[in-house]
Amino acid sequence: MSEMEDYSELVGYAISSAEKHDVDYADAYLQSANGRSYAVEQGRLNGSSYYEKSGIRIRLVKDKRLYTFTTNKMDKDKIGKLISGYKGFNGVDTVLSGEKAVTAKYKVEERKKLADADVLKDLLEIDKVLSKTKHMKFRSLYGMVGKVKTVFQNTDGSVIEAAIPAAQSFASITVESGRETRQRFLQFGGVGGYELLNRSKIEDTLLDEAKALVNVIDKGVRLSDSEMKRIRNVVIAPEITGIAVHESIGHPNEADRVFLREAAQAGTSYINKDNLGLEIGSPAVTIIDDPTIPNSNGFYLYDDEGVRSRPRTIVRDGIQDELLLNRSYARVLGKKSNAAARSDYYSNEPLIRMANTYLKPGSATFEELISEARDGVYIKSFMEWNIDDTRSFSRYQGSEAYMIKGGRLGKPVKNYRLESKTIDFWHAVRLVDREFELFLGNCGKGEPMQGVPVTMGGASALLSFG
Amino acid sequence: MANYAKKIIQAAMAKRYDEAVAHVYSYRTSYLKIANSKVDSIVTKDEESGSLFVSSKKRVFHTNIDRLSDSSIAAALRVAGANINGLQSKDDYNGIAQGPFKYAKEAGCDAKIVNYDNDLLCDVAYTAINSALDAGADNVAGTLIMSASKSTLSTSKDVNEEEESAYARLSLRTFVKGFSAQNVTAAKRLKDLKPEGFASSTAELAGMATKTGRISSGKYDVIYMQQPSGALFSMVNEMACIGNVETGGFLTGKLGKEIAHKSLTIYDDGGNPGLMSTSRFDEEGHPTQRTALVGDGKLLTYLHNNSTAIKYKTKSTGNAGLILPSPNVSVIKHDKKIGKLDDLIRRVDKGILVTNTWYTRFSNYLSGDFSTVPRDIAIYIEKGSPKFAIKQVDVGSATGIRVSENIIRMMKNVECSANDSIQTASWDADGYFVTPSVLVSGVSVTTA
Repeated sequence: MSEMEDYSELVGYAISSAEKHDVDYADAYLQSANGRSYAVEQGRLNGSSYYEKSGIRIRLVKDKRLYTFTTNKMDKDKIGKLISGYKGFNGVDTVLSGEKAVTAKYKVEERKKLADADVLKDLLEIDKVLSKTKHMKFRSLYGMVGKVKTVFQNTDGSVIEAAIPAAQSFASITVESGRETRQRFLQFGGVGGYELLNRSKIEDTLLDEAKALVNVIDKGVRLSDSEMKRIRNVVIAPEITGIAVHESIGHPNEADRVFLREAAQAGTSYINKDNLGLEIGSPAVTIIDDPTIPNSNGFYLYDDEGVRSRPRTIVRDGIQDELLLNRSYARVLGKKSNAAARSDYYSNEPLIRMANTYLKPGSATFEELISEARDGVYIKSFMEWNIDDTRSFSRYQGSEAYMIKGGRLGKPVKNYRLESKTIDFWHAVRLVDREFELFLGNCGKGEPMQGVPVTMGGASALLSFG
Repeated sequence: MANYAKKIIQAAMAKRYDEAVAHVYSYRTSYLKIANSKVDSIVTKDEESGSLFVSSKKRVFHTNIDRLSDSSIAAALRVAGANINGLQSKDDYNGIAQGPFKYAKEAGCDAKIVNYDNDLLCDVAYTAINSALDAGADNVAGTLIMSASKSTLSTSKDVNEEEESAYARLSLRTFVKGFSAQNVTAAKRLKDLKPEGFASSTAELAGMATKTGRISSGKYDVIYMQQPSGALFSMVNEMACIGNVETGGFLTGKLGKEIAHKSLTIYDDGGNPGLMSTSRFDEEGHPTQRTALVGDGKLLTYLHNNSTAIKYKTKSTGNAGLILPSPNVSVIKHDKKIGKLDDLIRRVDKGILVTNTWYTRFSNYLSGDFSTVPRDIAIYIEKGSPKFAIKQVDVGSATGIRVSENIIRMMKNVECSANDSIQTASWDADGYFVTPSVLVSGVSVTTA
């Protein structure tokens, strides 16, 4: 990965040009990114891709109208014309919250340099191990390393520079035993250096997963629909907790859904301006979104509007507490932004997004969760999931799941699905594990679709449905 | 721009690569967001960039060209030179398509779209908003996109072709008394977008509920309107791409086998200039075409580029993707057409009209088991008549049902279609599709 051309002077130029055009507010966001990726499928390198790209986004608010330009034509003349060509329109008033001006510069260290990483060799080694694994039918591995440098400046006086490296790997495996197959997708890595992709750890995880899936095929029982409906106690592992906090708590607490800005594509929410403070769950439920977790996939210290990030408590002791906000919706609510404005690239507008969302650990042990459940099901991982438009009704289909009999783990279950209303789900939380784990994801939202890196997870929990 | 593409090829071949493909393009695209029945904001992108693909001794390499400048081209070639020899050779790689080819005549672009500005964007948006409000909507949201682009593809195998494109696309969600409907319309000529009629019909769909009710989990005959029909069945095009076949999808091992109702036909159409998102050539310059994927109930072919076609001893279907083939527009047809949507409803004894789906997720891509959520208004049908809008989740007034099915079983159970085929798109699926409303028997539906 080579050093890229430096266009940072364009940021200051854009802001000074905007100031000459009597704007209410302007910010400029320069992004330069480079990286490489490899796809290894069934033992062969199917493709590799290298990229170096840079571009600038300029947001103007003038006469309360928000207009965003993006371009990779990195010359002052072009940027000047984009700004001077601004034309108002009949539309929604946009006013931003007042925020403190910040001057900051930060970078995330690479303990193992990405430039030295032999990603392809590692993927091929992992593939070799998988290929020798009994029952392995299909395998796909993808690895990428890259760096993003950003420079942000706004008319409030903030200037923020960031340098963020990232290493990620995706794996898809299909195992077969007899005539039955099962699949699993897994993601590894985060924000930092190549130390985040530990080959032997990835191998061990994939081998464990393959073994567990084969065990489900060979020894698993199938439950009838009526047997499933009779199950009252369910222990969910951090992977299930994670998808549930992300989909049924994080998304519906994004203010741009609550206030219907994203109603067309991203969807709406069961939270609305009249039920803020809703009792979403039992007192055991506290759910936090925290961008500041070091090396996490959703890590950032300043958002795309130049606001310092901090942990956000979305649900506190079962009660809806804090919406995820950008500066626009902070103003609507008479609050300060909590730094949730993120874009996937300079070429898209920042939307309100999660970062690292988790169920806060409690004081129980995993053994206590199983023991307290007495009879029920433990769901360790999932493949299929989905949720409705308002985030009120979700389903998580167990990939690896087990019966709980007499307070102990029993046989695997092939087809258990947890399908319930959001409010019922979170009110059912009776005990929360003291241990904590996060899982990587890419969260999609909006039109054009933007995928941003996140994590989701937290503690295991015992759910007892009435 | 054509000169840049040629220049890149000349520079690459001077480095003694076996092959090279350069694709350069520029575009201006605006996204106007509609929220709470007003124009919320506008984002305009003005970009130029490209890509370079080279191969050497069965090693293949792909990189972007950041912008159309000599220094960006030199940087791309430098990156290729520094990295290609370190890659593993791809033993099943068989090269790009040999030109020259004859292509269909270019259709030309609508100058109104090419020269769009904020005023035009807002005019179209407010035409749609006001029409939806007049038709009874109490809230309107959506996105209007206008885009104009130019691109040139050059290869070391005698391809050098330019293309211009312009389109407008309107995605609208209308809310009426707690229910919603969403649709997408798109056109290459502004006069064909027809935002007024599109918006009013979307509002009328959202407002068709006269009362609400609940249903139980079980088997239902389901009518998927065009958007969900396309979103679900266009997965055939995606999974027919040979890369997805090799890594395990629901069409793996199914060539020549029965996978659908005998009267259902699914095409992959890349070359029809009347359709959205089509091109005269694929990413290696091979002419695009209409390929029958499913016919007489059987899977007829997979989708290939030149290299994979040689590997499987068949012909390219014009679906390159230089690394792997990719699908074009999905065209779905059913021989048994039953008049209008109302006529389809009249055939249903106990069923559901599904107007939109989202979050379609597979528990196993190989077996084809999946579930999906009907997102907007869904109507319970009994004895040929709409009875009520399904409403089961109280907190957010959601439609609380979920389709839990197998894609191949569902394709086998497509009984008939309405004669209402349109081109549309969905947030839940890539690309565009042309499809009628279809009736599928015995669909498994679960509730909370």
